[in-house]
Amino acid sequence: MVEETSSPLFPFNVYLVGVGGQGILTIGEIISQAAFLEGIPVNFFPTKGMAQRGGFVKAQLRLGKDIVGPAIPEKGANLVIAMERSESLKAVRFLKPGGDFLLWDFVWAPTAVMLGKESYPELEIVREKVRVAGGNFISISPSLLPLHEGKPVPDNTFILGIALKRTSLGKILPFTSVEEALQKRFPRFSGVNLLALKSGFTLEL
Amino acid sequence: MDREIVTGNEALALGALRAGVKVITGYPGTPSSEAIGFLLSHPEIWQKNGVHVEWSTNEKVAFEISAGAAWAGQRALVTMKMSGLNVAFDSLISIAYSGINGGLVIYVADDPGVSAGMAEQDSRGFAMISDLPMLEPSSVKETYELSRIAFELSEEAKTPVFLRLTTSISQSHAPVELETPYYIPLERDLILERDINKYTKAGAAICMAQHRDLINRLGKSGEVIKKLGLNELSLSKKEGGLGIIASGAPFSYLEEGLLLTAKFGLDPGEVSILKIASTNPFPEEEARLLLERSGVILVLEELEPYLEKNTLILCQKLGLKKRVIGKMDGTFDRVGDYGLSQVVSGIQKALNLEIPPETFSGIKADELAALRPITVCAGCPHRGTFMAINSAIRKAGFKKDQVMVTGDIGCTILGMNPPFNTVWNEVSMGASIGIAQGFKHAGFTKPVIATIGDSTFFHAGIPPLINAIQYQVPLTVIVMDNGWTAMTGMQFNPGTSEKFLPPGSKRVDLEKLIPGLGVEHFWVVDPYDLPRMTNIIAEALNLEGVKVILSRRECAIQALRRGERAGMVRVIPEKCTLCKSCLTLTGCPALSPGETAMEIDGALCNGCGLCVHTCGYKALEREEI
Repeated sequence: MVEETSSPLFPFNVYLVGVGGQGILTIGEIISQAAFLEGIPVNFFPTKGMAQRGGFVKAQLRLGKDIVGPAIPEKGANLVIAMERSESLKAVRFLKPGGDFLLWDFVWAPTAVMLGKESYPELEIVREKVRVAGGNFISISPSLLPLHEGKPVPDNTFILGIALKRTSLGKILPFTSVEEALQKRFPRFSGVNLLALKSGFTLEL
Repeated sequence: MDREIVTGNEALALGALRAGVKVITGYPGTPSSEAIGFLLSHPEIWQKNGVHVEWSTNEKVAFEISAGAAWAGQRALVTMKMSGLNVAFDSLISIAYSGINGGLVIYVADDPGVSAGMAEQDSRGFAMISDLPMLEPSSVKETYELSRIAFELSEEAKTPVFLRLTTSISQSHAPVELETPYYIPLERDLILERDINKYTKAGAAICMAQHRDLINRLGKSGEVIKKLGLNELSLSKKEGGLGIIASGAPFSYLEEGLLLTAKFGLDPGEVSILKIASTNPFPEEEARLLLERSGVILVLEELEPYLEKNTLILCQKLGLKKRVIGKMDGTFDRVGDYGLSQVVSGIQKALNLEIPPETFSGIKADELAALRPITVCAGCPHRGTFMAINSAIRKAGFKKDQVMVTGDIGCTILGMNPPFNTVWNEVSMGASIGIAQGFKHAGFTKPVIATIGDSTFFHAGIPPLINAIQYQVPLTVIVMDNGWTAMTGMQFNPGTSEKFLPPGSKRVDLEKLIPGLGVEHFWVVDPYDLPRMTNIIAEALNLEGVKVILSRRECAIQALRRGERAGMVRVIPEKCTLCKSCLTLTGCPALSPGETAMEIDGALCNGCGLCVHTCGYKALEREEI
């Protein structure tokens, strides 16, 4: 533990955003559990006051320190995982320069947008803001989500697999620990979730 | 010993179990609900030991039950959010003056930074008003420890003890070493004691003696807290440096803040720290040592400057002239939660360090995000009620801006948002019915409607309805009964179907209760039946006296969790003109405009059929499944 906490990798901060119902909190739980299995101290702080379907949801993970405040400061996140394009903009100010910004470019348009009363941000706006923030931008199109027995696999565990392969999260958590954490989280539905995790991990871009 | 990831709320519940608690009561409220929620989903830990765990009708009732158990000599825990403490306080202050026998711990969760709505209240003030000790952990791990210790303190000082968490601790998940077994039963002789000097408020002499005893118990609490070493003081070797006083969540950012400011010139050897776990009573002796050692003081606390005021008073008492950095000098805001940036800017100001302002200032893009007002779920029965209210106001011959629709706490308040814009205000549990009467007495001649959910009505809506009946205030009350306390995470309540209540419970049926109060105009309506619902509300608006409509249909999310779906709605593409009326009027998340016709997300659609009523082209069809 001592060598881990004194490593320059720690504290490792993950800022998660999306819309209620997308499984943001589940990603946070799995990362926490995997860190726990690795003996890495973790604090996972989901903000779920409005986490019902359709509301903004965020969650903050701080890995590697025993005593740590639950909230990530601005410019403090080594990794942002955003699961909805418009909501991803709310995470930009928390990105550490040099950090990874992984966007699942899903568009969940609010009603006013569908009615043409409000505008919705273009992908390029997110890319530009992340560039100005000095982040490494990775955008994944939802069209890449694989099917299993005719149904799309869970997108949250798919994106977690991508994060493990393509962001600094992979330096912190071995794939096997995340697999184990996932099986613990979904004792009955681990099959399709493991498949999603592996598909994300091996995805060719 | 089990090492597990638990939340602050779970740690609190587990700490109480480890202390041998016999009775646990509470009312749901974010961010406190998961303490009892966790216990109810893990009865294997406590049920065999005869522990009683319940969701009570409201926080006052919950408090009274736990206080009764504590008077009888058992340990008891009561849980609530800050708004609930306001409800419980009448009984709470009376019990504070009497004192208790068995340990009584009152868990209150505050929400600085407001993640869940309601007043950004600092409940530490209630500890001051009631002269009760209040403990505040600064992490999930400490929550587990202090929850057990709070019972020892309570019994040793014979006083109820507050345990206060804030959102970032109550809802954080972190590893904790849990002692096994989780529950240790206590052998207790029950106390049946008749002593009116202690247990009543009969006369000035008794009340003033109790007041004296109360003050003495707080003094005794201070001694016990000191003996247990709950407040931690670490003094620097060098004199005249920085003294930091911190408690709760702000303390958890301190180590990181010191590391960071050390890079900008802070000498860690000059820093003294007082970590306060007992917000009340203020640990004067430790604070004195810190003041004497330090040249400048930094106080880190969220919301109101309670610790800071105590620090300033102590300076005055000791004749010390010290610079105190906090809220009173304008450094920090009384609004919002604290993070690393407050810790760093406080140290920077105290020591005049040069730290670049962009250290904590990221690239802001929030304002470019689309607005996302929260609305009701697909299939939510409240959608039908809001749509019907809007139509009925017109149908009864009024304009929407002439008819006040008061709102209440819970999912029913979502009618304030688009596309309904039905509900005008939100005050506190049950307040919709009282506020509505005020508008009538103020002289409004147009109808007034009060809307309230089932759990909220049970909690505090019945007394104002009784008041309206007594004075025959012309009022239309719509009780939106979805059978669950939904907004806080689907807890059961007195009106929930007996199938889902704990064994041995009896359901209280609003359909029998409301007419029993003497309401003459009473209807029970299914909010999915939009035409009938609209007609009845319109009729009610033009009747005299108190009218109550029970809009009854189970929460669609709960029904769906059991695989029960009301039906399915299908688009007939050749009839759809893409006018989007369905979406404009319902705002249903299952609807979206496609290339040539509206589309329905089959996974979200609950088949409520409300959208069918909005289509002028018969392009939507509801099917039974």
